[in-house]
Amino acid sequence: MREFTLTDMERLGAFDEAERTFQMTEEAFRSFYELTARQVRVYLARMTGDARLADDLLQEAYYRFLRSRMMFENDDHRRRYLYRIATNLVHDHRRRPRVEMPVELKPELHPAFSDPGVAERAARRIDLQRAMGRLKPRERTMLWLAYALGWSHDEIAASIGVKTGSLKPMLHRARHRLAGLLRSGGRS
Amino acid sequence: MTRNECIHEPFVVEAVLAGQWPEQANEVLVAHADECEVCREVAVLTTLIHDDHERSRFEVQVPAAGQVWWRSAIRARLESTQTAMRPMSWMHAVTAAITAGVLLALVTAAWPMLAPIGHLIWNVVLGYFPNPEVAAALAGGLRQMAVLGVLAVAVLLAAPLALYYVLSGD
Repeated sequence: MREFTLTDMERLGAFDEAERTFQMTEEAFRSFYELTARQVRVYLARMTGDARLADDLLQEAYYRFLRSRMMFENDDHRRRYLYRIATNLVHDHRRRPRVEMPVELKPELHPAFSDPGVAERAARRIDLQRAMGRLKPRERTMLWLAYALGWSHDEIAASIGVKTGSLKPMLHRARHRLAGLLRSGGRS
Repeated sequence: MTRNECIHEPFVVEAVLAGQWPEQANEVLVAHADECEVCREVAVLTTLIHDDHERSRFEVQVPAAGQVWWRSAIRARLESTQTAMRPMSWMHAVTAAITAGVLLALVTAAWPMLAPIGHLIWNVVLGYFPNPEVAAALAGGLRQMAVLGVLAVAVLLAAPLALYYVLSGD
């Protein structure tokens, strides 16, 4: 495969072309990105359990979003579509054997852990992440979309590609499993 | 048998996500959640997940919007360049196949004309060397050299073409 490189002139031309190829202007993208990037990055990190992979997938998700030919009704529709891209990207990486503890939340590395209240809350978060890591990828996705982002059953069903009627028992099972894992301290 | 769902579940989730649970939430709803197993579980888990989400949002570092835009623009440019080059690669492959076919057809067509050359060599050698054994040995050698010469010409023609396709193709 031939490797392509870009000259400075071509690089400048890339921006003109991007304006034509992408589905929004740079200015519109900046405001949309500011609204969504952190949430999507957290979602990706929780779904993959890998901070570096989450960074890569974040870039990939926005790239695919920019190149999409979708006509969006509003910002909510746009946001849901971005999450659908992110969900698909995560599912493409499903083969990874297990979810690891995100580095930035290990107690010994986090300065806020000297405060007992903060430490307790952080310990709960670590328990949650550990328990989430033991769930199936689809269960993690459903629970996050439902209880972190507050999506409706219809929206979650559309995002993961199941019928709304099938989603309810699936969500119930996932929730029950997570509660069980939390009670047992993350052990299945 | 435990219930799978409760009609109040979305209201509990909404109250937790709005940061109203339990102090500022509807008292009737909070009282219901104390009694309802489903809503109680939903309230606990939503509080945990929402708390994790909110805190992570502030802790997490994301690249600047301009950086993501710039990388995407560069990648789009590279991909469109590759897409534009794809028909050229197809053209190269088609041209190579046609050239090989034409060369093969030429060799096949020219083969009957090469046979008299063998007789010509034999006659010429016989004219110079009347001894049939010496003439036969010489004619055999010359015939082999003629075949090698044809092969060398073919290689000389094909090598630059092959080199061109190897270095230019993807």
